[in-house]
Amino acid sequence: MWRSRLRCGPFYDYGSVFEGCMTTQARHPHLLKLTDPPIMLGHRCTRCRRVAFPPDPYGCEKCGSQHADLEEFVLEAKGTVRAVATVHRHHHASPPTPFTVAVIDLVGGPVIKAIVAGGEVRVGVAVEGVLVEDVEDPEGTVMVDLQFQVVT
Amino acid sequence: MTGSNVLADRPVYVVGIGLHPYQRRSDTTYVALGVTAVRSALRDADIAWPDVEAAYTGTALLGMGSSRVMLSRLGATGIPMTQVENASASGSSAVAQACLEVAAGRSDVVLALGVDKPRGGLGAAPGHAGIDNLEGGAVVPFTHFALLASEYMHLHGVTADQVARVALKNHRNGASNQYAQRQKVRTLEEILTEPISGAMTRLQCCPVGEGAAAVVIASEEGIRRHDLDRSRAIRVVASVTRTEGLYDEGVGIDAALTAQTGAAAFNEAGIEPSDIDVLEVHDAFAIEELLYAEALGLCAPGEAAALVESGEFDIGGRCALSPSGGLLAMGHPIGPTGTGQIAEVVRQLRDEAGSRQQPNARTGLAHMVGIGAVCVVHVLRKD
Repeated sequence: MWRSRLRCGPFYDYGSVFEGCMTTQARHPHLLKLTDPPIMLGHRCTRCRRVAFPPDPYGCEKCGSQHADLEEFVLEAKGTVRAVATVHRHHHASPPTPFTVAVIDLVGGPVIKAIVAGGEVRVGVAVEGVLVEDVEDPEGTVMVDLQFQVVT
Repeated sequence: MTGSNVLADRPVYVVGIGLHPYQRRSDTTYVALGVTAVRSALRDADIAWPDVEAAYTGTALLGMGSSRVMLSRLGATGIPMTQVENASASGSSAVAQACLEVAAGRSDVVLALGVDKPRGGLGAAPGHAGIDNLEGGAVVPFTHFALLASEYMHLHGVTADQVARVALKNHRNGASNQYAQRQKVRTLEEILTEPISGAMTRLQCCPVGEGAAAVVIASEEGIRRHDLDRSRAIRVVASVTRTEGLYDEGVGIDAALTAQTGAAAFNEAGIEPSDIDVLEVHDAFAIEELLYAEALGLCAPGEAAALVESGEFDIGGRCALSPSGGLLAMGHPIGPTGTGQIAEVVRQLRDEAGSRQQPNARTGLAHMVGIGAVCVVHVLRKD
């Protein structure tokens, strides 16, 4: 069930949608728009112009401006791999091992960590965001998450 | 930075050290762990418990109010006692507070104790700050450092075998440390088995067990008044704490924070990195030792792996790095770790480290980082 690739259309939107009897939710609704291609939501400080991801609900770490001074800032889910590690043992049941995580320099500036979808990824390669679905519970709630895959 | 160098104005010394061995989680109570370390430190200092004027306990996992539960068993003298929590650096911060209290002239003899007994998860505060992130729970500490290892190896052309040699050295050092949780010499082949995350294997990750470490801090007046052995007193010449600043995107925070804290400590001590004969760093994962050796200025960026391989950081090399076995072999019971580093550096500077002795060690350093992120560096010197 993990890693079944989601071909999403424009009917997916921020938050959750209903598809038949199953509920589909974004695992990180405040960080993503489930569009095609998916979009990441960071913040930009209107005072010092610093762009950050994830968006901060409290204030700007650079200039100390309060949350009201931070505006939503759309980031392309595209970047270059700075570091990569395949995890063989993990503290939690999810994600199941082995899985791979990467540090990614986003084209928009911020450096993030994310799970890698699909095959081999190396330092220096270009990657892009992809929505991946995972059935979360016995009721069939489908969680949709942003992972990154090598640009083909 | 503002503020005077209180350690220069009023000299502060470590006059006693004591440990309870670090070990796997057991039925031993935290009270037994703590009392054992403190009695040992008092014996080492040759000072009586009623002469101790205040106590700081570094602990992150015991819960509220642990100090008096332990220390009243030595006699309920009614002295001020305070728990200090600074994640992995809790024990370092307990030492920092004890030094500050003595340097400020409030007390002449103060105890710093580190004790912990993990009871499950570590319960770190950043995880419930209400700030969602994309990687969620997928990146735990060993994966955070596996990613730093990936970047380091790619940037400097270093191999996984070279990184593993940090663990080879530290397991060898730990094998002759009676207080270490891991006391076994390992082969490189053994170290490279059992992958955990990226290049980090099980033996390149520290064990989190239980234990306790204690140091007695005193002023010149305290040494004189209680007729303590001046020849075994080791002076604390720098005690610096910094927290993470805002670095450029992609800069490794652990090393950047270490570089800033180390530079401030060298400045406070009035020394250069090349003056360091022996040091203990936060080698919770093997890659960290390389990052911090470079961040502290022991060598240039990218050089540390080759220096480990050539034996420059061995006991007997130009500078002994993690002679106790470090967190990798001595262990990382959280609260005790930073206090235990001070005990090891003092043992080395006293020339009492036996088979682990770095020859002619006069200046030593102890470094811890903690989740949050915080960094604490102490510099000690044999006068």
